[in-house]
Amino acid sequence: MNDEIHTLSGAYALNALPFRELGEFEGHLSRCETCSIEVRGLRETAARLGAAVAEAPPRALKSRVMAQIAEVRQEPPQIEEEEPPPAEVVVPLRRGKGRWALALAAVSAAAAVSIGVIAVNEIRSRDASIEETQSLLAAPDAVVRKVEMVGGGSATVVASESHGKVMFTSELPALDPSKTYQLWTIGGERIRPAGLVDGGGIRTATVELPAGTDHFGVTVEPAGGSEQPTTEPVMLAKVT
Amino acid sequence: MGFVNDVVPISVTGRSPELDELLVLVARGDETAFERLYDRLIASVFGLIRRVVRDRAQAEEVAQEVMVEVWRTAARFDPARGGAMSWVMTVAHRRAVDRVRSAQASSDRENRVAQMGGEVAYDHVAETVTTRLEGERVRRCLDGLTELQRQAVTMAYYGGYSYPEVAGLLKVPLGTVKTRMRDGLVRLRDCMGVER
Repeated sequence: MNDEIHTLSGAYALNALPFRELGEFEGHLSRCETCSIEVRGLRETAARLGAAVAEAPPRALKSRVMAQIAEVRQEPPQIEEEEPPPAEVVVPLRRGKGRWALALAAVSAAAAVSIGVIAVNEIRSRDASIEETQSLLAAPDAVVRKVEMVGGGSATVVASESHGKVMFTSELPALDPSKTYQLWTIGGERIRPAGLVDGGGIRTATVELPAGTDHFGVTVEPAGGSEQPTTEPVMLAKVT
Repeated sequence: MGFVNDVVPISVTGRSPELDELLVLVARGDETAFERLYDRLIASVFGLIRRVVRDRAQAEEVAQEVMVEVWRTAARFDPARGGAMSWVMTVAHRRAVDRVRSAQASSDRENRVAQMGGEVAYDHVAETVTTRLEGERVRRCLDGLTELQRQAVTMAYYGGYSYPEVAGLLKVPLGTVKTRMRDGLVRLRDCMGVER
Protein backbone atom coordinates (compact mmCIF):
# COMPACT_ATOMS: atom_id res chain seq x y z
CA MET A 1 0.00 0.00 0.00
CA ASN A 2 1.26 3.41 -0.91
CA ASP A 3 1.44 5.31 2.38
CA GLU A 4 1.46 8.70 0.77
CA ILE A 5 -1.78 8.17 -1.11
CA HIS A 6 -3.30 6.25 1.77
CA THR A 7 -3.20 9.32 4.01
CA LEU A 8 -5.72 10.91 1.65
CA SER A 9 -8.52 8.71 3.04
CA GLY A 10 -9.50 11.33 5.62
CA ALA A 11 -9.63 14.18 3.13
CA TYR A 12 -11.56 11.91 0.75
CA ALA A 13 -14.17 11.02 3.38
CA LEU A 14 -14.57 14.75 4.04
CA ASN A 15 -14.93 15.52 0.31
CA ALA A 16 -11.87 17.71 0.65
CA LEU A 17 -9.79 16.37 -2.23
CA PRO A 18 -9.19 18.61 -5.21
CA PHE A 19 -10.21 17.20 -8.56
CA ARG A 20 -6.79 15.95 -9.62
CA GLU A 21 -6.25 13.91 -6.51
CA LEU A 22 -9.83 12.70 -6.42
CA GLY A 23 -9.40 10.65 -9.60
CA GLU A 24 -6.10 9.29 -8.42
CA PHE A 25 -7.44 8.31 -5.01
CA GLU A 26 -10.55 6.65 -6.42
CA GLY A 27 -8.35 4.64 -8.75
CA HIS A 28 -6.37 3.56 -5.72
CA LEU A 29 -9.55 2.74 -3.75
CA SER A 30 -10.78 0.39 -6.44
CA ARG A 31 -7.62 -1.68 -5.92
CA CYS A 32 -7.24 -1.40 -2.15
CA GLU A 33 -9.78 -3.26 -0.06
CA THR A 34 -8.40 -2.07 3.29
CA CYS A 35 -8.64 1.50 2.05
CA SER A 36 -12.30 0.99 1.09
CA ILE A 37 -13.07 -0.36 4.52
CA GLU A 38 -11.32 2.57 6.17
CA VAL A 39 -13.13 5.08 3.97
CA ARG A 40 -16.46 3.47 4.85
CA GLY A 41 -15.83 3.90 8.58
CA LEU A 42 -14.62 7.47 8.13
CA ARG A 43 -17.70 8.30 6.06
CA GLU A 44 -19.99 6.91 8.75
CA THR A 45 -18.09 9.11 11.18
CA ALA A 46 -18.45 12.20 9.01
CA ALA A 47 -22.18 11.52 8.63
CA ARG A 48 -22.51 11.76 12.40
CA LEU A 49 -20.84 15.14 12.37
CA GLY A 50 -23.61 16.10 9.95
CA ALA A 51 -26.37 14.65 12.08
CA ALA A 52 -25.03 16.58 15.04
CA VAL A 53 -25.99 19.88 13.40
CA ALA A 54 -29.50 18.78 12.41
CA GLU A 55 -31.97 21.56 11.77
CA ALA A 56 -35.58 21.32 10.68
CA PRO A 57 -36.27 22.76 7.25
CA PRO A 58 -39.55 24.50 6.40
CA ARG A 59 -42.42 22.11 5.96
CA ALA A 60 -42.99 23.30 2.41
CA LEU A 61 -39.76 21.62 1.35
CA LYS A 62 -41.32 18.22 1.79
CA SER A 63 -44.24 18.93 -0.50
CA ARG A 64 -41.86 20.27 -3.14
CA VAL A 65 -39.69 17.18 -2.93
CA MET A 66 -42.65 14.78 -2.97
CA ALA A 67 -44.13 16.58 -5.97
CA GLN A 68 -40.82 16.47 -7.81
CA ILE A 69 -40.05 12.79 -7.26
CA ALA A 70 -43.42 11.90 -8.73
CA GLU A 71 -41.99 13.18 -12.00
CA VAL A 72 -38.46 11.83 -11.79
CA ARG A 73 -37.63 8.45 -13.24
CA GLN A 74 -35.39 6.29 -11.07
CA GLU A 75 -32.18 4.75 -12.29
CA PRO A 76 -32.42 1.00 -12.82
CA PRO A 77 -30.47 -1.26 -10.45
CA GLN A 78 -26.79 -1.65 -11.19
CA ILE A 79 -25.65 -4.97 -12.53
CA GLU A 80 -22.19 -4.64 -11.06
CA GLU A 81 -21.40 -3.18 -7.70
CA GLU A 82 -19.76 0.14 -7.89
CA GLU A 83 -17.90 2.35 -5.54
CA PRO A 84 -19.85 3.55 -2.56
CA PRO A 85 -21.86 6.59 -2.62
CA PRO A 86 -21.86 7.59 -6.17
CA ALA A 87 -20.64 10.78 -6.40
CA GLU A 88 -21.67 13.10 -8.91
CA VAL A 89 -18.93 15.49 -8.23
CA VAL A 90 -19.52 17.97 -10.95
CA VAL A 91 -16.26 19.62 -11.68
CA PRO A 92 -15.83 21.67 -14.80
CA LEU A 93 -13.05 20.61 -17.15
CA ARG A 94 -10.04 22.66 -16.35
CA ARG A 95 -8.19 24.87 -18.72
CA GLY A 96 -6.03 22.81 -21.01
CA LYS A 97 -8.60 20.06 -21.24
CA GLY A 98 -10.56 21.98 -23.79
CA ARG A 99 -8.98 19.96 -26.52
CA TRP A 100 -10.09 16.83 -24.76
CA ALA A 101 -13.63 18.07 -24.65
CA LEU A 102 -13.51 18.80 -28.37
CA ALA A 103 -11.98 15.45 -29.12
CA LEU A 104 -14.69 13.74 -27.08
CA ALA A 105 -17.36 15.52 -29.03
CA ALA A 106 -15.74 14.51 -32.30
CA VAL A 107 -15.53 10.89 -31.22
CA SER A 108 -19.16 10.82 -30.19
CA ALA A 109 -20.16 12.16 -33.55
CA ALA A 110 -18.00 9.62 -35.35
CA ALA A 111 -19.09 6.70 -33.23
CA ALA A 112 -21.79 5.59 -35.58
CA VAL A 113 -19.33 4.93 -38.36
CA SER A 114 -16.63 3.39 -36.24
CA ILE A 115 -18.75 0.57 -34.84
CA GLY A 116 -17.82 -2.75 -36.27
CA VAL A 117 -17.65 -6.33 -35.18
CA ILE A 118 -14.10 -7.56 -35.26
CA ALA A 119 -13.16 -11.19 -35.62
CA VAL A 120 -11.65 -12.73 -32.50
CA ASN A 121 -8.41 -13.48 -34.32
CA GLU A 122 -7.85 -9.90 -35.10
CA ILE A 123 -7.73 -8.77 -31.54
CA ARG A 124 -5.98 -11.72 -30.00
CA SER A 125 -2.46 -10.96 -28.94
CA ARG A 126 0.28 -12.52 -26.93
CA ASP A 127 -0.39 -10.44 -23.80
CA ALA A 128 -4.07 -11.02 -23.36
CA SER A 129 -5.53 -14.26 -22.16
CA ILE A 130 -7.60 -15.71 -24.96
CA GLU A 131 -10.27 -16.80 -22.50
CA GLU A 132 -10.55 -13.32 -21.14
CA THR A 133 -10.83 -11.84 -24.60
CA GLN A 134 -13.44 -14.35 -25.70
CA SER A 135 -15.46 -13.93 -22.57
CA LEU A 136 -15.40 -10.18 -23.00
CA LEU A 137 -16.43 -10.41 -26.64
CA ALA A 138 -19.20 -12.84 -25.78
CA ALA A 139 -20.72 -10.48 -23.24
CA PRO A 140 -24.19 -9.53 -24.41
CA ASP A 141 -23.38 -5.88 -23.85
CA ALA A 142 -19.91 -5.91 -25.42
CA VAL A 143 -19.13 -2.76 -27.35
CA VAL A 144 -16.46 -3.15 -30.01
CA ARG A 145 -14.77 -0.19 -31.63
CA LYS A 146 -12.04 -0.01 -34.20
CA VAL A 147 -10.57 3.45 -34.21
CA GLU A 148 -7.74 5.29 -35.94
CA MET A 149 -4.67 6.15 -33.91
CA VAL A 150 -3.24 9.63 -34.27
CA GLY A 151 -0.07 9.19 -36.32
CA GLY A 152 -1.32 6.10 -38.14
CA GLY A 153 -2.46 2.59 -37.40
CA SER A 154 -5.60 1.53 -35.65
CA ALA A 155 -6.69 0.30 -32.28
CA THR A 156 -9.44 -2.02 -31.17
CA VAL A 157 -11.34 -1.39 -27.98
CA VAL A 158 -13.76 -3.89 -26.46
CA ALA A 159 -15.78 -2.81 -23.45
CA SER A 160 -18.39 -4.59 -21.40
CA GLU A 161 -20.19 -2.86 -18.61
CA SER A 162 -21.45 -6.15 -17.20
CA HIS A 163 -17.88 -7.51 -17.06
CA GLY A 164 -16.62 -4.17 -15.81
CA LYS A 165 -13.66 -4.44 -18.18
CA VAL A 166 -12.31 -2.70 -21.20
CA MET A 167 -9.69 -4.21 -23.47
CA PHE A 168 -7.43 -2.19 -25.69
CA THR A 169 -5.14 -3.53 -28.38
CA SER A 170 -2.97 -1.81 -30.92
CA GLU A 171 0.46 -1.83 -32.43
CA LEU A 172 2.16 0.94 -30.48
CA PRO A 173 5.29 2.64 -31.83
CA ALA A 174 8.29 2.63 -29.50
CA LEU A 175 8.65 5.74 -27.37
CA ASP A 176 11.60 7.58 -25.94
CA PRO A 177 12.37 6.00 -22.51
CA SER A 178 11.32 9.26 -20.85
CA LYS A 179 7.77 8.68 -22.09
CA THR A 180 5.01 6.11 -21.71
CA TYR A 181 1.55 5.41 -23.08
CA GLN A 182 -1.12 5.94 -20.48
CA LEU A 183 -4.67 4.61 -20.59
CA TRP A 184 -7.65 6.57 -19.28
CA THR A 185 -11.27 5.84 -18.55
CA ILE A 186 -13.52 8.83 -18.89
CA GLY A 187 -16.97 9.22 -17.40
CA GLY A 188 -18.60 12.54 -18.05
CA GLU A 189 -15.97 15.01 -16.99
CA ARG A 190 -14.05 12.65 -14.77
CA ILE A 191 -10.88 11.22 -16.25
CA ARG A 192 -9.32 8.33 -14.36
CA PRO A 193 -5.89 6.84 -14.94
CA ALA A 194 -6.21 3.20 -16.06
CA GLY A 195 -2.62 2.07 -16.44
CA LEU A 196 0.64 2.47 -18.33
CA VAL A 197 1.72 0.59 -21.44
CA ASP A 198 5.09 0.68 -23.17
CA GLY A 199 5.47 0.85 -26.93
CA GLY A 200 7.43 -1.12 -29.50
CA GLY A 201 4.97 -3.76 -30.71
CA ILE A 202 1.46 -5.09 -30.42
CA ARG A 203 0.17 -4.36 -26.97
CA THR A 204 -3.02 -5.51 -25.34
CA ALA A 205 -4.26 -4.36 -22.00
CA THR A 206 -7.42 -5.22 -20.13
CA VAL A 207 -8.34 -2.78 -17.40
CA GLU A 208 -11.23 -2.02 -15.06
CA LEU A 209 -14.14 -0.14 -16.55
CA PRO A 210 -15.57 2.00 -13.73
CA ALA A 211 -19.34 2.38 -13.78
CA GLY A 212 -20.38 5.44 -15.71
CA THR A 213 -17.42 5.34 -18.09
CA ASP A 214 -18.34 6.59 -21.54
CA HIS A 215 -14.95 6.90 -23.25
CA PHE A 216 -11.59 5.20 -23.22
CA GLY A 217 -8.48 7.08 -24.26
CA VAL A 218 -4.73 6.83 -24.60
CA THR A 219 -2.17 9.60 -24.26
CA VAL A 220 1.61 9.83 -24.27
CA GLU A 221 2.82 10.95 -20.85
CA PRO A 222 6.14 11.38 -19.06
CA ALA A 223 7.53 8.05 -17.81
CA GLY A 224 5.73 7.06 -14.62
CA GLY A 225 2.46 8.47 -15.88
CA SER A 226 0.40 11.49 -14.94
CA GLU A 227 -2.54 12.05 -12.63
CA GLN A 228 -4.49 13.64 -15.44
CA PRO A 229 -3.74 13.75 -19.15
CA THR A 230 -1.17 16.36 -20.08
CA THR A 231 -1.28 15.83 -23.85
CA GLU A 232 -3.90 15.32 -26.49
CA PRO A 233 -5.14 11.75 -26.86
CA VAL A 234 -3.56 9.56 -29.51
CA MET A 235 -6.67 7.43 -29.38
CA LEU A 236 -10.13 7.99 -28.02
CA ALA A 237 -13.05 5.59 -28.28
CA LYS A 238 -16.62 5.77 -27.14
CA VAL A 239 -17.42 2.71 -25.04
CA THR A 240 -21.16 3.03 -24.55
CA MET B 1 -40.08 30.85 14.11
CA GLY B 2 -42.34 29.61 11.40
CA PHE B 3 -40.59 26.30 11.00
CA VAL B 4 -42.00 23.09 12.25
CA ASN B 5 -39.81 20.85 14.26
CA ASP B 6 -41.70 17.64 13.74
CA VAL B 7 -38.86 15.47 12.58
CA VAL B 8 -37.56 12.62 14.64
CA PRO B 9 -33.94 13.15 15.61
CA ILE B 10 -31.91 10.13 14.78
CA SER B 11 -29.40 8.60 17.04
CA VAL B 12 -25.84 9.39 16.23
CA THR B 13 -24.58 6.33 17.96
CA GLY B 14 -25.54 3.50 15.72
CA ARG B 15 -26.42 2.35 12.29
CA SER B 16 -30.10 1.88 11.71
CA PRO B 17 -31.10 -1.29 9.86
CA GLU B 18 -34.53 0.21 9.47
CA LEU B 19 -33.14 3.10 7.45
CA ASP B 20 -31.26 0.67 5.25
CA GLU B 21 -34.46 -1.24 4.56
CA LEU B 22 -36.30 1.96 3.74
CA LEU B 23 -33.68 2.98 1.22
CA VAL B 24 -33.81 -0.45 -0.41
CA LEU B 25 -37.58 -0.04 -0.75
CA VAL B 26 -37.08 3.43 -2.20
CA ALA B 27 -34.90 1.88 -4.90
CA ARG B 28 -37.95 -0.16 -5.94
CA GLY B 29 -40.03 2.95 -6.39
CA ASP B 30 -41.81 2.90 -3.04
CA GLU B 31 -42.91 6.49 -2.44
CA THR B 32 -44.24 5.76 1.04
CA ALA B 33 -40.84 4.42 2.04
CA PHE B 34 -39.27 7.54 0.55
CA GLU B 35 -41.54 9.73 2.62
CA ARG B 36 -40.56 7.89 5.81
CA LEU B 37 -36.90 8.13 4.88
CA TYR B 38 -37.36 11.84 4.26
CA ASP B 39 -38.94 12.34 7.67
CA ARG B 40 -36.11 10.50 9.37
CA LEU B 41 -33.23 12.17 7.59
CA ILE B 42 -34.25 15.59 6.41
CA ALA B 43 -33.20 17.47 9.55
CA SER B 44 -29.71 16.01 9.35
CA VAL B 45 -29.52 16.63 5.62
CA PHE B 46 -30.78 20.18 5.86
CA GLY B 47 -28.69 21.03 8.92
CA LEU B 48 -25.50 19.85 7.26
CA ILE B 49 -26.21 21.67 4.01
CA ARG B 50 -27.08 24.83 5.86
CA ARG B 51 -23.86 24.61 7.83
CA VAL B 52 -21.84 24.42 4.62
CA VAL B 53 -23.85 26.71 2.34
CA ARG B 54 -25.00 29.16 5.04
CA ASP B 55 -27.67 30.90 2.98
CA ARG B 56 -31.04 29.48 3.98
CA ALA B 57 -32.74 29.76 0.59
CA GLN B 58 -29.79 28.12 -1.16
CA ALA B 59 -29.67 25.43 1.48
CA GLU B 60 -33.31 24.61 0.77
CA GLU B 61 -32.58 24.34 -2.94
CA VAL B 62 -29.64 22.05 -2.34
CA ALA B 63 -31.62 19.92 0.13
CA GLN B 64 -34.33 19.49 -2.48
CA GLU B 65 -31.75 18.45 -5.10
CA VAL B 66 -30.24 15.99 -2.65
CA MET B 67 -33.51 14.29 -1.77
CA VAL B 68 -34.49 14.02 -5.42
CA GLU B 69 -31.06 12.55 -6.18
CA VAL B 70 -31.58 10.03 -3.36
CA TRP B 71 -34.85 9.00 -4.99
CA ARG B 72 -33.32 8.83 -8.46
CA THR B 73 -30.14 6.93 -7.59
CA ALA B 74 -31.34 4.78 -4.66
CA ALA B 75 -30.56 1.63 -6.66
CA ARG B 76 -26.87 2.40 -6.21
CA PHE B 77 -27.14 1.99 -2.45
CA ASP B 78 -25.62 -1.27 -1.29
CA PRO B 79 -26.19 -2.04 2.42
CA ALA B 80 -23.11 -4.25 2.37
CA ARG B 81 -20.97 -1.19 1.75
CA GLY B 82 -22.24 1.15 4.44
CA GLY B 83 -25.42 2.45 6.03
CA ALA B 84 -28.22 4.45 4.46
CA MET B 85 -27.57 7.39 6.75
CA SER B 86 -23.96 7.61 5.64
CA TRP B 87 -24.95 7.21 1.99
CA VAL B 88 -27.50 10.00 2.08
CA MET B 89 -25.26 12.31 4.08
CA THR B 90 -22.44 11.76 1.59
CA VAL B 91 -24.72 12.82 -1.24
CA ALA B 92 -25.79 15.85 0.80
CA HIS B 93 -22.27 16.88 1.66
CA ARG B 94 -21.05 16.57 -1.91
CA ARG B 95 -23.89 18.65 -3.23
CA ALA B 96 -23.34 21.29 -0.59
CA VAL B 97 -19.63 21.39 -1.32
CA ASP B 98 -20.28 21.59 -5.06
CA ARG B 99 -22.50 24.56 -4.40
CA VAL B 100 -19.94 26.52 -2.43
CA ARG B 101 -17.10 25.59 -4.75
CA SER B 102 -18.94 26.45 -7.93
CA ALA B 103 -17.76 29.31 -10.06
CA GLN B 104 -20.38 31.78 -8.93
CA ALA B 105 -19.18 31.35 -5.41
CA SER B 106 -15.53 31.90 -6.14
CA SER B 107 -15.32 35.59 -5.41
CA ASP B 108 -17.72 35.44 -2.45
CA ARG B 109 -15.69 32.60 -1.24
CA GLU B 110 -12.48 34.52 -1.15
CA ASN B 111 -14.21 37.14 0.95
CA ARG B 112 -15.61 34.44 3.14
CA VAL B 113 -12.16 32.99 3.63
CA ALA B 114 -10.78 36.38 4.47
CA GLN B 115 -13.49 37.19 6.97
CA MET B 116 -13.84 33.89 8.58
CA GLY B 117 -10.64 32.10 9.52
CA GLY B 118 -10.67 28.76 11.21
CA GLU B 119 -11.73 29.72 14.69
CA VAL B 120 -14.96 31.35 13.70
CA ALA B 121 -15.98 28.29 11.75
CA TYR B 122 -15.42 26.10 14.71
CA ASP B 123 -17.04 28.32 17.28
CA HIS B 124 -20.13 28.61 15.19
CA VAL B 125 -20.32 24.89 14.82
CA ALA B 126 -19.58 24.27 18.45
CA GLU B 127 -22.43 26.50 19.47
CA THR B 128 -24.88 24.63 17.31
CA VAL B 129 -23.60 21.27 18.34
CA THR B 130 -23.97 21.93 22.04
CA THR B 131 -27.60 22.93 21.69
CA ARG B 132 -28.57 19.48 20.58
CA LEU B 133 -28.94 16.49 22.75
CA GLU B 134 -27.88 14.08 20.01
CA GLY B 135 -24.84 16.21 19.42
CA GLU B 136 -23.45 15.81 22.92
CA ARG B 137 -21.41 12.79 22.12
CA VAL B 138 -20.08 14.30 18.93
CA ARG B 139 -19.16 17.42 20.83
CA ARG B 140 -17.34 15.43 23.45
CA CYS B 141 -15.50 13.48 20.78
CA LEU B 142 -14.52 16.70 18.99
CA ASP B 143 -13.12 17.95 22.27
CA GLY B 144 -10.89 14.91 22.40
CA LEU B 145 -9.04 15.94 19.24
CA THR B 146 -5.99 18.12 19.08
CA GLU B 147 -6.66 21.69 18.06
CA LEU B 148 -5.24 21.14 14.59
CA GLN B 149 -7.11 17.87 14.04
CA ARG B 150 -10.36 19.50 15.06
CA GLN B 151 -9.84 22.51 12.85
CA ALA B 152 -8.83 20.42 9.86
CA VAL B 153 -11.87 18.14 10.18
CA THR B 154 -14.46 20.82 10.92
CA MET B 155 -13.23 23.29 8.30
CA ALA B 156 -13.38 20.59 5.65
CA TYR B 157 -16.68 19.09 6.72
CA TYR B 158 -18.67 22.05 7.98
CA GLY B 159 -16.82 24.70 6.01
CA GLY B 160 -16.69 22.81 2.72
CA TYR B 161 -13.02 23.66 2.21
CA SER B 162 -10.64 21.43 0.29
CA TYR B 163 -7.56 20.33 2.16
CA PRO B 164 -5.24 22.73 0.28
CA GLU B 165 -7.60 25.56 1.25
CA VAL B 166 -7.55 24.42 4.86
CA ALA B 167 -3.75 24.32 4.72
CA GLY B 168 -3.71 27.87 3.37
CA LEU B 169 -6.10 29.16 6.00
CA LEU B 170 -4.30 27.52 8.88
CA LYS B 171 -0.86 28.21 7.38
CA VAL B 172 0.34 24.65 7.82
CA PRO B 173 1.91 22.33 5.22
CA LEU B 174 -0.36 20.30 2.95
CA GLY B 175 0.98 17.01 4.23
CA THR B 176 0.20 18.01 7.81
CA VAL B 177 -3.40 18.82 6.95
CA LYS B 178 -3.91 15.52 5.13
CA THR B 179 -2.57 13.62 8.08
CA ARG B 180 -4.56 15.59 10.65
CA MET B 181 -7.79 15.05 8.72
CA ARG B 182 -7.23 11.34 8.73
CA ASP B 183 -5.99 11.06 12.30
CA GLY B 184 -8.80 13.31 13.48
CA LEU B 185 -11.49 11.27 11.77
CA VAL B 186 -9.98 8.02 12.98
CA ARG B 187 -10.03 9.31 16.53
CA LEU B 188 -13.62 10.51 16.15
CA ARG B 189 -14.60 7.15 14.71
CA ASP B 190 -13.15 5.32 17.68
CA CYS B 191 -14.67 7.78 20.13
CA MET B 192 -18.13 7.49 18.56
CA GLY B 193 -17.91 3.73 18.42
CA VAL B 194 -18.54 3.50 14.70
CA GLU B 195 -18.56 -0.12 13.65
CA ARG B 196 -15.74 -1.06 11.36
